[in-house]
Amino acid sequence: RFRGKGYQEGFTEGGHLGETEGRRYGLANGAKIGSEVSFYKGFAFTWKCLLQKNQDAQKNSKRLKVLNTLLEMVQRFPYEDPTYDKLQEDLEKMRAKFKQICSLLNVQPACQNATAAGMSF
Amino acid sequence: MRRRLAFELRFQAHPDSRAWNVAWSSSGTLLASCGGDRAVRIWAREGASWQCKCLLEDGHQRTVRKVSWSPCGNYLASVSFDATTCIWRKKEDGFELLTTLEGHENEVKSVAWAPSGSLLATCSRDKSVWVWEVDEEDDYECVSVLNAHTQDVKHVIWHPNGELLASGSYDNSIKLYKEEDDDWVCVSTLEGHESTVWSIAFDKTGERLVSCSDDKTVKIWKAYRPGNEQGVVCSGSDLSWKCVCTLSGFHTRPIYDISWCHMTDAIATACGDDAVRIFEEDPGSDPHQPTFSLTAHIPKAHTQDVNCVAWNPKQAGLLASCSDDGDITIWRYEFED
Repeated sequence: RFRGKGYQEGFTEGGHLGETEGRRYGLANGAKIGSEVSFYKGFAFTWKCLLQKNQDAQKNSKRLKVLNTLLEMVQRFPYEDPTYDKLQEDLEKMRAKFKQICSLLNVQPACQNATAAGMSF
Repeated sequence: MRRRLAFELRFQAHPDSRAWNVAWSSSGTLLASCGGDRAVRIWAREGASWQCKCLLEDGHQRTVRKVSWSPCGNYLASVSFDATTCIWRKKEDGFELLTTLEGHENEVKSVAWAPSGSLLATCSRDKSVWVWEVDEEDDYECVSVLNAHTQDVKHVIWHPNGELLASGSYDNSIKLYKEEDDDWVCVSTLEGHESTVWSIAFDKTGERLVSCSDDKTVKIWKAYRPGNEQGVVCSGSDLSWKCVCTLSGFHTRPIYDISWCHMTDAIATACGDDAVRIFEEDPGSDPHQPTFSLTAHIPKAHTQDVNCVAWNPKQAGLLASCSDDGDITIWRYEFED
Protein backbone atom coordinates (compact mmCIF):
# COMPACT_ATOMS: atom_id res chain seq x y z
CA ARG A 1 0.00 0.00 0.00
CA PHE A 2 2.80 2.40 0.91
CA ARG A 3 4.62 1.34 -2.18
CA GLY A 4 1.60 2.27 -4.26
CA LYS A 5 1.32 5.65 -2.53
CA GLY A 6 5.03 6.28 -3.05
CA TYR A 7 4.66 5.46 -6.72
CA GLN A 8 1.71 7.86 -7.06
CA GLU A 9 3.58 10.70 -5.41
CA GLY A 10 6.66 10.05 -7.49
CA PHE A 11 4.65 9.93 -10.68
CA THR A 12 2.91 13.23 -9.89
CA GLU A 13 6.19 14.89 -8.95
CA GLY A 14 7.79 13.58 -12.14
CA GLY A 15 4.86 14.81 -14.14
CA HIS A 16 5.27 18.32 -12.76
CA LEU A 17 8.98 18.39 -13.43
CA GLY A 18 8.45 17.01 -16.90
CA GLU A 19 5.83 19.60 -17.68
CA THR A 20 8.09 22.42 -16.58
CA GLU A 21 11.01 21.08 -18.57
CA GLY A 22 8.80 20.46 -21.57
CA ARG A 23 7.42 23.96 -21.45
CA ARG A 24 10.91 25.44 -21.30
CA TYR A 25 12.09 23.22 -24.14
CA GLY A 26 9.05 24.03 -26.23
CA LEU A 27 9.50 27.75 -25.72
CA ALA A 28 13.18 27.62 -26.65
CA ASN A 29 12.68 25.44 -29.70
CA GLY A 30 9.63 27.31 -30.83
CA ALA A 31 11.60 30.53 -30.67
CA LYS A 32 14.48 28.99 -32.59
CA ILE A 33 12.26 27.63 -35.36
CA GLY A 34 10.24 30.83 -35.44
CA SER A 35 13.29 32.97 -35.88
CA GLU A 36 14.78 30.66 -38.52
CA VAL A 37 11.60 30.64 -40.61
CA SER A 38 11.10 34.37 -40.32
CA PHE A 39 14.72 34.88 -41.34
CA TYR A 40 13.93 33.02 -44.56
CA LYS A 41 10.83 35.16 -45.05
CA GLY A 42 12.73 38.41 -44.66
CA PHE A 43 15.60 37.18 -46.79
CA ALA A 44 13.30 36.06 -49.60
CA PHE A 45 11.24 39.28 -49.59
CA THR A 46 14.36 41.44 -49.68
CA TRP A 47 15.90 39.56 -52.59
CA LYS A 48 12.59 39.51 -54.41
CA CYS A 49 12.46 43.31 -54.25
CA LEU A 50 16.08 43.61 -55.33
CA LEU A 51 15.67 41.29 -58.29
CA GLN A 52 12.43 42.83 -59.48
CA LYS A 53 14.25 46.13 -59.86
CA ASN A 54 16.98 44.51 -61.91
CA GLN A 55 16.53 44.32 -65.68
CA ASP A 56 18.25 40.99 -66.31
CA ALA A 57 14.98 39.15 -66.88
CA GLN A 58 16.04 35.72 -68.00
CA LYS A 59 18.40 34.83 -65.20
CA ASN A 60 16.19 36.49 -62.62
CA SER A 61 13.03 34.65 -63.59
CA LYS A 62 14.61 31.40 -62.40
CA ARG A 63 15.77 32.99 -59.16
CA LEU A 64 12.41 34.67 -58.57
CA LYS A 65 10.69 31.35 -59.08
CA VAL A 66 12.81 29.72 -56.38
CA LEU A 67 12.35 32.71 -54.05
CA ASN A 68 8.60 32.46 -54.52
CA THR A 69 8.71 28.76 -53.75
CA LEU A 70 10.54 29.53 -50.51
CA LEU A 71 7.95 32.17 -49.62
CA GLU A 72 5.16 29.70 -50.31
CA MET A 73 6.81 27.20 -47.97
CA VAL A 74 7.05 29.85 -45.26
CA GLN A 75 3.40 30.74 -45.82
CA ARG A 76 2.24 27.14 -45.61
CA PHE A 77 4.22 26.40 -42.44
CA PRO A 78 1.79 25.66 -39.59
CA TYR A 79 2.83 28.08 -36.84
CA GLU A 80 -0.07 27.06 -34.61
CA ASP A 81 0.48 23.35 -34.58
CA PRO A 82 3.60 21.88 -32.92
CA THR A 83 2.18 18.38 -33.29
CA TYR A 84 2.16 18.61 -37.12
CA ASP A 85 3.73 15.32 -38.12
CA LYS A 86 5.74 16.69 -41.02
CA LEU A 87 7.22 19.59 -39.08
CA GLN A 88 10.86 18.49 -39.26
CA GLU A 89 10.46 17.30 -42.85
CA ASP A 90 9.04 20.65 -44.02
CA LEU A 91 11.69 22.53 -42.09
CA GLU A 92 14.41 20.47 -43.81
CA LYS A 93 12.84 21.19 -47.19
CA MET A 94 12.85 24.90 -46.38
CA ARG A 95 16.51 24.75 -45.38
CA ALA A 96 17.33 22.93 -48.61
CA LYS A 97 15.44 25.54 -50.66
CA PHE A 98 17.32 28.30 -48.83
CA LYS A 99 20.67 26.65 -49.62
CA GLN A 100 19.67 26.36 -53.28
CA ILE A 101 18.72 30.02 -53.51
CA CYS A 102 21.98 31.05 -51.84
CA SER A 103 23.85 29.05 -54.47
CA LEU A 104 21.85 30.67 -57.29
CA LEU A 105 22.32 34.19 -55.90
CA ASN A 106 25.93 33.47 -55.05
CA VAL A 107 25.61 34.71 -51.48
CA GLN A 108 27.05 33.20 -48.30
CA PRO A 109 24.70 34.20 -45.53
CA ALA A 110 25.56 34.30 -41.86
CA CYS A 111 22.74 34.63 -39.40
CA GLN A 112 23.50 35.29 -35.78
CA ASN A 113 20.64 34.79 -33.37
CA ALA A 114 20.28 37.09 -30.39
CA THR A 115 20.03 34.04 -28.13
CA ALA A 116 22.90 31.73 -27.19
CA ALA A 117 22.01 29.12 -29.81
CA GLY A 118 23.44 30.67 -32.97
CA MET A 119 22.73 29.30 -36.40
CA SER A 120 25.39 28.98 -39.05
CA PHE A 121 24.73 28.30 -42.67
CA MET B 1 32.75 -22.69 -69.47
CA ARG B 2 34.68 -21.37 -66.54
CA ARG B 3 35.75 -17.78 -66.16
CA ARG B 4 38.79 -16.19 -64.64
CA LEU B 5 39.93 -12.70 -63.81
CA ALA B 6 43.38 -12.43 -65.34
CA PHE B 7 45.89 -9.89 -64.10
CA GLU B 8 47.03 -7.62 -66.91
CA LEU B 9 48.97 -4.74 -65.43
CA ARG B 10 49.55 -2.74 -62.24
CA PHE B 11 50.97 0.76 -61.96
CA GLN B 12 51.40 3.38 -59.28
CA ALA B 13 48.81 6.08 -59.77
CA HIS B 14 49.04 8.29 -56.71
CA PRO B 15 52.47 8.12 -55.11
CA ASP B 16 52.51 7.78 -51.30
CA SER B 17 48.77 8.20 -51.03
CA ARG B 18 45.46 6.45 -51.57
CA ALA B 19 43.94 6.00 -55.00
CA TRP B 20 40.26 6.62 -54.29
CA ASN B 21 38.49 6.29 -57.59
CA VAL B 22 38.92 5.33 -61.25
CA ALA B 23 36.52 6.19 -64.05
CA TRP B 24 36.56 5.23 -67.72
CA SER B 25 35.57 7.81 -70.32
CA SER B 26 32.53 6.75 -72.36
CA SER B 27 34.74 5.85 -75.31
CA GLY B 28 36.66 3.51 -73.01
CA THR B 29 40.02 4.88 -74.11
CA LEU B 30 40.83 7.11 -71.16
CA LEU B 31 40.95 6.29 -67.47
CA ALA B 32 40.74 9.06 -64.91
CA SER B 33 41.93 8.48 -61.36
CA CYS B 34 41.97 10.62 -58.24
CA GLY B 35 43.53 10.32 -54.83
CA GLY B 36 44.80 11.52 -51.51
CA ASP B 37 47.55 13.52 -53.21
CA ARG B 38 44.83 16.06 -54.22
CA ALA B 39 45.39 15.29 -57.90
CA VAL B 40 43.48 13.81 -60.81
CA ARG B 41 45.42 11.85 -63.41
CA ILE B 42 44.32 10.87 -66.89
CA TRP B 43 45.73 7.60 -68.21
CA ALA B 44 45.76 6.14 -71.71
CA ARG B 45 47.08 2.88 -73.02
CA GLU B 46 50.26 3.04 -75.05
CA GLY B 47 51.28 -0.33 -76.35
CA ALA B 48 51.45 -2.67 -73.39
CA SER B 49 51.52 -0.03 -70.71
CA TRP B 50 49.41 2.83 -69.40
CA GLN B 51 50.85 6.32 -69.43
CA CYS B 52 49.79 9.35 -67.49
CA LYS B 53 48.64 11.80 -70.16
CA CYS B 54 47.55 14.61 -67.90
CA LEU B 55 48.04 15.67 -64.33
CA LEU B 56 45.29 17.87 -62.98
CA GLU B 57 46.47 19.50 -59.79
CA ASP B 58 45.74 22.88 -58.19
CA GLY B 59 42.05 22.18 -58.47
CA HIS B 60 41.50 20.96 -54.95
CA GLN B 61 42.96 21.72 -51.54
CA ARG B 62 42.30 18.27 -50.11
CA THR B 63 41.83 14.65 -51.16
CA VAL B 64 39.94 14.17 -54.41
CA ARG B 65 37.37 11.48 -53.70
CA LYS B 66 35.64 10.80 -57.01
CA VAL B 67 35.72 11.69 -60.68
CA SER B 68 33.03 11.41 -63.31
CA TRP B 69 33.18 11.88 -67.08
CA SER B 70 30.47 13.66 -69.02
CA PRO B 71 28.79 11.36 -71.59
CA CYS B 72 30.31 13.38 -74.46
CA GLY B 73 33.79 12.85 -72.99
CA ASN B 74 34.72 16.53 -73.07
CA TYR B 75 34.25 17.28 -69.39
CA LEU B 76 35.39 15.74 -66.16
CA ALA B 77 33.93 16.49 -62.75
CA SER B 78 36.02 15.92 -59.63
CA VAL B 79 34.85 16.21 -56.04
CA SER B 80 36.92 16.68 -52.94
CA PHE B 81 37.06 16.69 -49.16
CA ASP B 82 37.59 20.44 -49.54
CA ALA B 83 33.79 20.66 -50.15
CA THR B 84 34.10 21.73 -53.78
CA THR B 85 33.34 20.23 -57.19
CA CYS B 86 35.70 21.08 -60.04
CA ILE B 87 34.62 20.93 -63.66
CA TRP B 88 37.49 20.35 -66.10
CA ARG B 89 37.19 20.81 -69.85
CA LYS B 90 39.20 18.72 -72.27
CA LYS B 91 41.31 20.54 -74.82
CA GLU B 92 43.73 19.21 -77.46
CA ASP B 93 46.71 19.50 -75.16
CA GLY B 94 45.18 18.76 -71.79
CA PHE B 95 42.46 19.88 -69.44
CA GLU B 96 41.58 23.31 -68.13
CA LEU B 97 39.70 24.09 -64.95
CA LEU B 98 36.40 25.52 -66.13
CA THR B 99 34.70 26.26 -62.84
CA THR B 100 34.50 25.34 -59.19
CA LEU B 101 31.07 24.63 -57.69
CA GLU B 102 30.58 25.44 -54.04
CA GLY B 103 27.69 24.91 -51.71
CA HIS B 104 28.27 21.72 -49.76
CA GLU B 105 29.18 22.34 -46.15
CA ASN B 106 31.85 19.68 -45.91
CA GLU B 107 33.48 16.72 -47.70
CA VAL B 108 31.90 15.90 -51.05
CA LYS B 109 31.85 12.12 -51.41
CA SER B 110 30.55 11.39 -54.88
CA VAL B 111 29.62 12.87 -58.24
CA ALA B 112 27.75 11.53 -61.23
CA TRP B 113 27.00 12.98 -64.63
CA ALA B 114 23.51 12.21 -65.99
CA PRO B 115 23.28 10.37 -69.34
CA SER B 116 21.81 13.52 -70.91
CA GLY B 117 24.98 15.44 -70.11
CA SER B 118 23.02 18.42 -68.81
CA LEU B 119 22.68 17.38 -65.17
CA LEU B 120 25.24 16.63 -62.51
CA ALA B 121 24.63 15.21 -59.03
CA THR B 122 26.90 15.52 -55.98
CA CYS B 123 26.53 14.28 -52.44
CA SER B 124 28.29 15.02 -49.20
CA ARG B 125 28.93 14.33 -45.55
CA ASP B 126 26.56 17.23 -44.95
CA LYS B 127 23.78 14.65 -45.62
CA SER B 128 22.56 16.36 -48.79
CA VAL B 129 22.43 15.55 -52.47
CA TRP B 130 22.70 18.48 -54.89
CA VAL B 131 21.50 18.42 -58.50
CA TRP B 132 23.17 20.90 -60.86
CA GLU B 133 22.13 21.83 -64.35
CA VAL B 134 24.53 23.00 -67.05
CA ASP B 135 23.45 25.05 -70.03
CA GLU B 136 25.02 25.54 -73.47
CA GLU B 137 27.20 28.33 -72.17
CA ASP B 138 28.80 26.04 -69.57
CA ASP B 139 26.99 27.81 -66.72
CA TYR B 140 26.23 25.57 -63.77
CA GLU B 141 23.19 26.23 -61.62
CA CYS B 142 21.89 24.40 -58.62
CA VAL B 143 18.40 23.10 -59.39
CA SER B 144 17.83 21.18 -56.20
CA VAL B 145 19.16 20.51 -52.72
CA LEU B 146 17.87 17.24 -51.30
CA ASN B 147 18.03 16.65 -47.56
CA ALA B 148 16.39 13.24 -47.56
CA HIS B 149 19.16 11.26 -45.86
CA THR B 150 19.79 11.50 -42.14
CA GLN B 151 23.52 10.84 -42.38
CA ASP B 152 26.60 11.19 -44.60
CA VAL B 153 25.72 10.41 -48.23
CA LYS B 154 28.42 8.19 -49.76
CA HIS B 155 27.41 7.64 -53.37
CA VAL B 156 25.20 9.04 -56.13
CA ILE B 157 24.44 7.44 -59.46
CA TRP B 158 22.01 8.07 -62.29
CA HIS B 159 19.62 5.53 -63.73
CA PRO B 160 20.61 4.62 -67.34
CA ASN B 161 17.55 6.48 -68.69
CA GLY B 162 18.54 9.56 -66.72
CA GLU B 163 15.22 10.23 -65.05
CA LEU B 164 15.97 8.67 -61.73
CA LEU B 165 18.78 9.48 -59.32
CA ALA B 166 19.95 7.08 -56.60
CA SER B 167 21.99 7.75 -53.47
CA GLY B 168 23.48 5.54 -50.75
CA SER B 169 24.21 6.66 -47.23
CA TYR B 170 25.74 6.03 -43.81
CA ASP B 171 22.10 5.90 -42.64
CA ASN B 172 21.94 2.38 -44.22
CA SER B 173 19.38 3.33 -46.85
CA ILE B 174 19.24 3.92 -50.58
CA LYS B 175 17.05 6.76 -51.78
CA LEU B 176 15.67 7.36 -55.26
CA TYR B 177 14.75 10.76 -56.61
CA LYS B 178 12.70 11.97 -59.55
CA GLU B 179 11.96 15.36 -61.06
CA GLU B 180 8.47 16.63 -60.26
CA ASP B 181 7.27 20.12 -61.22
CA ASP B 182 10.70 21.58 -61.77
CA ASP B 183 12.04 20.25 -58.49
CA TRP B 184 13.61 16.97 -57.46
CA VAL B 185 11.91 14.90 -54.77
CA CYS B 186 12.68 11.66 -52.98
CA VAL B 187 10.26 9.04 -54.32
CA SER B 188 11.57 5.87 -52.74
CA THR B 189 13.63 4.62 -49.80
CA LEU B 190 15.20 1.16 -50.00
CA GLU B 191 15.94 -0.32 -46.62
CA GLY B 192 17.49 -3.63 -45.81
CA HIS B 193 21.19 -3.11 -45.37
CA GLU B 194 22.35 -3.24 -41.78
CA SER B 195 25.08 -0.72 -42.21
CA THR B 196 26.41 2.03 -44.49
CA VAL B 197 25.57 1.65 -48.19
CA TRP B 198 28.90 2.42 -49.86
CA SER B 199 28.03 2.08 -53.51
CA ILE B 200 25.20 1.42 -55.99
CA ALA B 201 25.07 0.40 -59.64
CA PHE B 202 22.28 -0.12 -62.17
CA ASP B 203 22.27 -2.90 -64.74
CA LYS B 204 22.15 -1.83 -68.38
CA THR B 205 18.34 -1.97 -68.56
CA GLY B 206 17.84 0.02 -65.37
CA GLU B 207 15.36 -2.60 -64.20
CA ARG B 208 17.72 -3.75 -61.50
CA LEU B 209 19.99 -2.09 -59.02
CA VAL B 210 22.81 -3.59 -56.98
CA SER B 211 24.13 -2.17 -53.71
CA CYS B 212 27.09 -3.02 -51.51
CA SER B 213 27.49 -2.24 -47.86
CA ASP B 214 29.59 -2.03 -44.74
CA ASP B 215 27.52 -5.04 -43.61
CA LYS B 216 29.60 -7.20 -46.04
CA THR B 217 26.61 -8.07 -48.23
CA VAL B 218 25.56 -7.25 -51.76
CA LYS B 219 21.85 -6.78 -52.46
CA ILE B 220 20.10 -6.96 -55.80
CA TRP B 221 16.92 -4.92 -56.11
CA LYS B 222 14.32 -5.23 -58.86
CA ALA B 223 11.89 -2.58 -60.08
CA TYR B 224 8.20 -3.44 -60.13
CA ARG B 225 5.53 -1.45 -61.92
CA PRO B 226 2.00 -0.82 -60.62
CA GLY B 227 -0.26 -3.70 -61.57
CA ASN B 228 2.59 -6.23 -61.55
CA GLU B 229 1.70 -9.90 -61.36
CA GLN B 230 3.84 -10.62 -58.33
CA GLY B 231 1.64 -8.52 -56.11
CA VAL B 232 4.38 -6.09 -55.17
CA VAL B 233 2.69 -3.01 -53.72
CA CYS B 234 3.28 0.18 -55.67
CA SER B 235 2.16 3.67 -54.76
CA GLY B 236 0.67 5.73 -57.54
CA SER B 237 2.46 5.43 -60.83
CA ASP B 238 5.90 5.09 -59.29
CA LEU B 239 8.13 2.07 -59.49
CA SER B 240 8.50 -0.05 -56.40
CA TRP B 241 11.88 -1.63 -55.64
CA LYS B 242 12.16 -4.95 -53.88
CA CYS B 243 15.27 -6.74 -52.70
CA VAL B 244 15.28 -10.01 -54.66
CA CYS B 245 18.66 -11.37 -53.68
CA THR B 246 21.27 -10.93 -50.94
CA LEU B 247 24.81 -12.20 -51.41
CA SER B 248 26.32 -12.82 -47.99
CA GLY B 249 29.22 -14.88 -46.73
CA PHE B 250 31.47 -13.97 -49.66
CA HIS B 251 33.14 -10.84 -48.33
CA THR B 252 35.06 -10.68 -45.06
CA ARG B 253 35.20 -6.90 -44.76
CA PRO B 254 33.13 -3.87 -45.86
CA ILE B 255 32.48 -3.72 -49.59
CA TYR B 256 33.45 -0.27 -50.82
CA ASP B 257 32.47 -0.33 -54.45
CA ILE B 258 30.41 -2.28 -56.95
CA SER B 259 30.18 -2.12 -60.72
CA TRP B 260 27.70 -3.80 -63.07
CA CYS B 261 29.08 -4.38 -66.55
CA HIS B 262 26.62 -3.20 -69.21
CA MET B 263 28.17 -5.50 -71.77
CA THR B 264 28.54 -8.81 -69.93
CA ASP B 265 26.18 -8.30 -66.94
CA ALA B 266 28.97 -9.37 -64.59
CA ILE B 267 29.14 -7.66 -61.19
CA ALA B 268 32.52 -6.72 -59.71
CA THR B 269 33.10 -5.79 -56.06
CA ALA B 270 35.90 -3.89 -54.31
CA CYS B 271 36.42 -5.01 -50.73
CA GLY B 272 38.23 -3.94 -47.57
CA ASP B 273 39.84 -7.38 -47.46
CA ASP B 274 42.02 -6.35 -50.44
CA ALA B 275 40.11 -8.63 -52.81
CA VAL B 276 38.23 -8.18 -56.06
CA ARG B 277 35.35 -10.57 -56.71
CA ILE B 278 33.15 -11.19 -59.74
CA PHE B 279 29.57 -12.48 -59.59
CA GLU B 280 27.26 -13.58 -62.37
CA GLU B 281 23.61 -14.50 -62.40
CA ASP B 282 23.06 -18.23 -62.77
CA PRO B 283 21.62 -19.14 -66.17
CA GLY B 284 17.90 -19.82 -66.00
CA SER B 285 17.48 -18.26 -62.55
CA ASP B 286 14.02 -17.01 -61.61
CA PRO B 287 13.89 -13.27 -62.36
CA HIS B 288 11.93 -12.67 -59.15
CA GLN B 289 14.28 -14.72 -57.00
CA PRO B 290 17.54 -14.67 -58.93
CA THR B 291 20.62 -16.53 -57.80
CA PHE B 292 24.15 -15.37 -58.37
CA SER B 293 27.45 -17.24 -58.17
CA LEU B 294 30.96 -16.13 -57.40
CA THR B 295 32.79 -16.70 -60.69
CA ALA B 296 36.16 -15.16 -59.86
CA HIS B 297 38.01 -14.15 -56.70
CA ILE B 298 41.43 -12.52 -56.40
CA PRO B 299 42.23 -12.52 -52.66
CA LYS B 300 45.22 -10.20 -52.88
CA ALA B 301 44.18 -7.95 -55.75
CA HIS B 302 45.92 -5.13 -53.90
CA THR B 303 48.04 -4.85 -50.77
CA GLN B 304 45.41 -2.71 -49.00
CA ASP B 305 41.68 -1.93 -49.19
CA VAL B 306 40.30 -1.87 -52.71
CA ASN B 307 38.37 1.39 -53.05
CA CYS B 308 36.96 1.18 -56.54
CA VAL B 309 36.20 -1.17 -59.43
CA ALA B 310 35.12 -0.03 -62.87
CA TRP B 311 34.20 -2.00 -65.98
CA ASN B 312 35.31 -0.51 -69.29
CA PRO B 313 32.15 0.57 -71.16
CA LYS B 314 33.40 -0.48 -74.59
CA GLN B 315 35.81 -3.39 -74.09
CA ALA B 316 33.99 -6.35 -72.61
CA GLY B 317 35.80 -7.86 -69.67
CA LEU B 318 38.26 -5.04 -69.08
CA LEU B 319 38.21 -4.02 -65.42
CA ALA B 320 40.15 -1.38 -63.51
CA SER B 321 40.59 -1.34 -59.74
CA CYS B 322 42.36 1.02 -57.38
CA SER B 323 43.37 0.88 -53.76
CA ASP B 324 44.62 2.56 -50.60
CA ASP B 325 48.03 1.30 -51.72
CA GLY B 326 47.99 3.98 -54.44
CA ASP B 327 47.98 1.52 -57.34
CA ILE B 328 45.67 0.94 -60.26
CA THR B 329 45.36 -2.62 -61.54
CA ILE B 330 43.96 -3.60 -64.93
CA TRP B 331 42.26 -6.99 -65.19
CA ARG B 332 40.75 -9.02 -67.97
CA TYR B 333 37.67 -11.14 -67.24
CA GLU B 334 37.70 -13.96 -69.73
CA PHE B 335 36.92 -17.60 -70.37
CA GLU B 336 39.50 -20.09 -69.21
CA ASP B 337 41.02 -22.07 -72.04
